[in-house]
Amino acid sequence: MKHIINPYENINNSARNNSDCPPVVLPEEIFFTISIVGVLENLIVLLAVIKNKNLQSPMYFFICSLAISDMLGSLYKILENILIMFRNMGYLKPRGNFETTADDIIDSMFILSLLGSIFSLSVIAVDRYITIFHALKYHSIVTMRRTVVILTIIWTFCTGSGITMVVFSHHIPTVLTFTSLFPLMLVFILCLYVHMFLLARSHARKISTLPRANMKGAITLTILLGVFIFCWAPFVLHVLLMTFCPNNPYCACYMSLFQVNGMLIMCNAVIDPFIYAFRSPELRDAFKKMIFCNRYQ
Amino acid sequence: VEMSVQRLISNRTSQQSASNSDYTWEYEYYEIGPVSFEGLKAHKYSIVIGFWVGLAVFVIFMFFVLTLLTKTGAPHQDHAESSEKRFRMNSFVSDFGRPVEPDKVFSRQGNEESRSLFHCYINEVDHLDRPKACHQTTAFDSDVQFQEALRGSGRPEEELNRLMKFDIPNFVNSDQNSSFGEDDLLISDPPIVLENKPVCQTSHKDMD
Repeated sequence: MKHIINPYENINNSARNNSDCPPVVLPEEIFFTISIVGVLENLIVLLAVIKNKNLQSPMYFFICSLAISDMLGSLYKILENILIMFRNMGYLKPRGNFETTADDIIDSMFILSLLGSIFSLSVIAVDRYITIFHALKYHSIVTMRRTVVILTIIWTFCTGSGITMVVFSHHIPTVLTFTSLFPLMLVFILCLYVHMFLLARSHARKISTLPRANMKGAITLTILLGVFIFCWAPFVLHVLLMTFCPNNPYCACYMSLFQVNGMLIMCNAVIDPFIYAFRSPELRDAFKKMIFCNRYQ
Repeated sequence: VEMSVQRLISNRTSQQSASNSDYTWEYEYYEIGPVSFEGLKAHKYSIVIGFWVGLAVFVIFMFFVLTLLTKTGAPHQDHAESSEKRFRMNSFVSDFGRPVEPDKVFSRQGNEESRSLFHCYINEVDHLDRPKACHQTTAFDSDVQFQEALRGSGRPEEELNRLMKFDIPNFVNSDQNSSFGEDDLLISDPPIVLENKPVCQTSHKDMD
């Protein structure tokens, strides 16, 4: 996260062995590209939902919440790149007040995006679960008003947590809270989806489309959960190692891959629209309508 | 977050600056205590390798568990009788379920979207347009609805009576069919005509 200062500026080379793990540095252009793609994709999802009345249902609002948090994550990276550029061009005083304040704001945006993503994914899973298992009562359980209230609560909590975590980021309980959210949400989402999957399997068995439907279900679930795990776990482990064993050589070697881990989170923002939003035929239709209407105008 | 940890470590060694001593860590970002790489027993990237291998193994294991769940013996074989009943109910539930009281029972638009989307999650419905996407879940929906109705009220007969109040134009007397297999489900489904497409064929085709 702290790329504001060029990392190679003041390395005391004599303190490092020849066999250490040099930090893996990815070109900033890659980050920039991925972030811009992420922002554009999620913006498209948001526009499609805003412009279409028939897509304004609770389920799509939750998908929008996920799109917003992904967009914030990508915006964070873009802003950080811009700050780095200004810093390298000399417009910003290093370690000046403006830079550190801007840095703090950007860090809280990052944590807000992380927490927002985690909570949005959980709430999407809960919504789908209610859709399947409480189908008749779905519209009385998940009303628009409750949706708005839940999303407001989630985002307020995430904003508050983001600011708190940045302010108190050097305390260990903060780090533990942050890193424990990930496995908790993962287990929660896993349980919900596996239960849904079991129901779909039992139904598919009844209508004798057993092998392929279930294989597709297994693949879909694996993709949903696998992307979540692969994109988030490396960064969470990085935060844990950084807190508890920063001087251990093995941990240091893992932490040298920090930029790769950060890039995985950016990739998550790019992949999420494809596995959540664009799997919905209605949203794809709305999207095509948007594109073609623009073309004809 | 890295910044804050560096603050913690470098607070002991940072210089005092005029504005804020907390922020002088940055020059020490890569100088946090020289990490000695001498005498490592395992490969230096062992945590990296171990982590990624573990992650891959976990995801693959999860995938195999999911696919194995599909192949293991049916825990529903002992519920064969109740599933037969469900199939019978499906026919007339589907008949009247949607059109008769769309506002009360469920709003057609919203519920179809939301429930059809579960199958859209599972089945790549790229080539389907909206009416079909809604259709293919009718058998699934009615099953779920019925289960839900049972679960919700706790009194099947009462729920059934409530449902049977509605007019059932094409109720096929499938309840007299003792051996109820999947073909019978297909036979009992055609009375459902939602937007000019027979559900069973659509669902059967699209589930492939």
